[in-house]
Amino acid sequence: MAKDFEYNYPHPHLLGIEGLNRLDVEQLLALADDYVEFSRQDRKHVDVLKGMTLLNLFFENSTRTQSSFELAGKRLGADVVNMAMQNSSLKKGETLIDTAMTLNAMRPDLLVIRHNASGAVKLLSRKVDCAVINAGDGQHEHPTQALLDALTIRRRLGDLSALRIAICGDIAHSRVARSNVFLLTLLGAEVRLVGPSPLIPKGADEWGAEVYTDMKEGIADCDVVMMLRLQLERMEGAFLPSTREYFHFYGLDREKLKLAKPGALVMHPGPMNRGVEIESAVADNLDRSLITTQVENGVAVRMAVLHTLSRNLLDRRAKQNEVQR
Amino acid sequence: MTRTAIYNARLVDPASGTDCQGGLIFSSDGVIIESGAHLFQAPSNVELAIDAQGHVLAPGVIDLRVKTGEPGNENKETLATASAAAAAGGITSFLVMPDTSPVIDTVALVDFINRRARDTAKSARVYAAGGLTVGLKGERMTEIGLMLEAGARLFSNGEQAVEDIGLLRRAMQYAAGFNAIVMSRPDIHSLTRGSMMNSSAFASRLGLKGAPPLAELMAVERDLILAEMTGVRLLVDQISTARALEAVERARDRGVKVWCTVSANNLYFNEMDVGDYLTYCKVFPPFRSEEDRLAMIDGVARGSIDAVVSAHDPQPPEDKRLPLPEATFGAAGLETLISALISLVQDERLSLIDALRPLTSAPADILGVPQGRLAAGAPADMILVDIGAPWECVREDLRSRSQNSPFDGRRLQGRVVRTFLNGLTVFDRKAEMLAEQGA
Repeated sequence: MAKDFEYNYPHPHLLGIEGLNRLDVEQLLALADDYVEFSRQDRKHVDVLKGMTLLNLFFENSTRTQSSFELAGKRLGADVVNMAMQNSSLKKGETLIDTAMTLNAMRPDLLVIRHNASGAVKLLSRKVDCAVINAGDGQHEHPTQALLDALTIRRRLGDLSALRIAICGDIAHSRVARSNVFLLTLLGAEVRLVGPSPLIPKGADEWGAEVYTDMKEGIADCDVVMMLRLQLERMEGAFLPSTREYFHFYGLDREKLKLAKPGALVMHPGPMNRGVEIESAVADNLDRSLITTQVENGVAVRMAVLHTLSRNLLDRRAKQNEVQR
Repeated sequence: MTRTAIYNARLVDPASGTDCQGGLIFSSDGVIIESGAHLFQAPSNVELAIDAQGHVLAPGVIDLRVKTGEPGNENKETLATASAAAAAGGITSFLVMPDTSPVIDTVALVDFINRRARDTAKSARVYAAGGLTVGLKGERMTEIGLMLEAGARLFSNGEQAVEDIGLLRRAMQYAAGFNAIVMSRPDIHSLTRGSMMNSSAFASRLGLKGAPPLAELMAVERDLILAEMTGVRLLVDQISTARALEAVERARDRGVKVWCTVSANNLYFNEMDVGDYLTYCKVFPPFRSEEDRLAMIDGVARGSIDAVVSAHDPQPPEDKRLPLPEATFGAAGLETLISALISLVQDERLSLIDALRPLTSAPADILGVPQGRLAAGAPADMILVDIGAPWECVREDLRSRSQNSPFDGRRLQGRVVRTFLNGLTVFDRKAEMLAEQGA
């Protein structure tokens, strides 16, 4: 199944795209490619993680990311436990670090964590012995989303270095945008960030992407238009005047899509706000929209990540045992 | 009355511009009798003589911004624990902020601080700042005159800038009538609300909301204009940006009565030190850009920044060992203040006398107190400092009840060897070490 590489992804965790090099990413994507095909078989189970425990810790609600990791873990043979942390002991005043220590004592092998505070997953990773995967931390990073997006684009359009990709919407509050900018530029794509000024973070022009506040200019001649979810709480006059105005200037509809390259593809990390950031006719156009493919590839990318990190974990433990002997 | 000499010292007294080999004589009732180069050798006409072993002999440090948890949050720090930590950091006088629970906004509470300090905080002089508005809510001014009579040294709205400009103007007008000092935090809350560090490309990358540096400038200009309108004596509490310093200097040139302070944190750290979401580096004002940090050091060297403060703000681990966005603001600073400054001296960013002036005579002049100088007749509040001593700051070794220091793990240079308050030794590092080894 997995190919032998001369270079092995060296990190114990996957906390973000920042800090990964091109080889790390290529390796994860190559393995994920295999797992896409693997998952299309009738019997999609392999014992890569047999006997290992995967804990899904979601401090923030998420259906799709959590089930994607759950499926990935199960297809690789892990024992998967989902812990809904929104209504757990944290509410009883236990600190995040205490929770980490408690869970660590249960000896999980892989921890998948989503948390609403930037940096929280990194903090937890320092307190546990197992491999940690960031499933989204605040407004910081969401690395598996970026990996699945890159995989999706690559499987459809090939080498990213020839592509121009626009990421549109609420860049400032988006971990998906951050991870994608880092990853897509690492793979050589020309990345543009498009959104209203209050939703463009300070210094975004230093990320290696070009910033546009006019969407028509921003998506002109793009191969891929990636839309971001607009959190509805931003809509109440503090950042933007109204959903109507937002859709008019920044919603992706058929008219605006015509400005991109002919046949340009449309992506969205989900869940979508139809009629706010994306028109239904665009989202549902099977020739142009990659949205369901993204979901499919998400499971494969997460299998690749779990597989790679579990191998590193086992290597690390074997070395520790040697030292102890 | 016995007389004690300290000889074989490097005498540094910023008030008189002295930096020479010398010594000093003080009396048992806690008053400096004389100081100077002629006392470098142990004099024969004294009852006791202390060999300074070539260390720096300077006035005790006066710190214009300290928070404790007393009253209301004694688990964080009491006046007693703060004064012990202060003595170890060479601080012999400090001003406590009014943001306690309850707020120091009445005569009774000013009196409480003064009495508690007298009874429990034996190793430092404690001064109280009164609240500028009732409950620091920014709605009604406090009894400024009565609190002044009760011993409040100046009036501050604590961490919260008063948002109602009309009210701030009237409070300043009223305070000016008593020749009282108003201390203001230069902040526009609606621009910095929810921020966790300096606003920059780095903060965006970390996914952390940033406080724009220009918000500080806007607030400083507002306060300076109000000071100009009202004639009040204004103390700008902790500036952190080059632009804000320029604004203060311009106002001073046109005759506004203004002083400003900077926190040692903003002299030592820049925004990159927040690094991997280090919550001990979450403070307000935040660590700024390197250019701003260098401008602050330059301001201290020029004397444009009058005082350097510790901005001591003790917070227990349960409020700090959290993801950065959820962690509370504040850093313990009493025990690292002077070492941070001396480290800058050793890096040749500042001369020793320029580093010590904003810690001694300059804050003394703001408060209008006689200490902070090694002059005949001044209180014998003094420190001996080994300015070459390297040490690593280890959080757990700090005496403060809360040990939330951003200096944790940092290598600093310069350490207080001995602290005298009113002629009495209130801290002696060698004796402490011997006691520890004995135990």
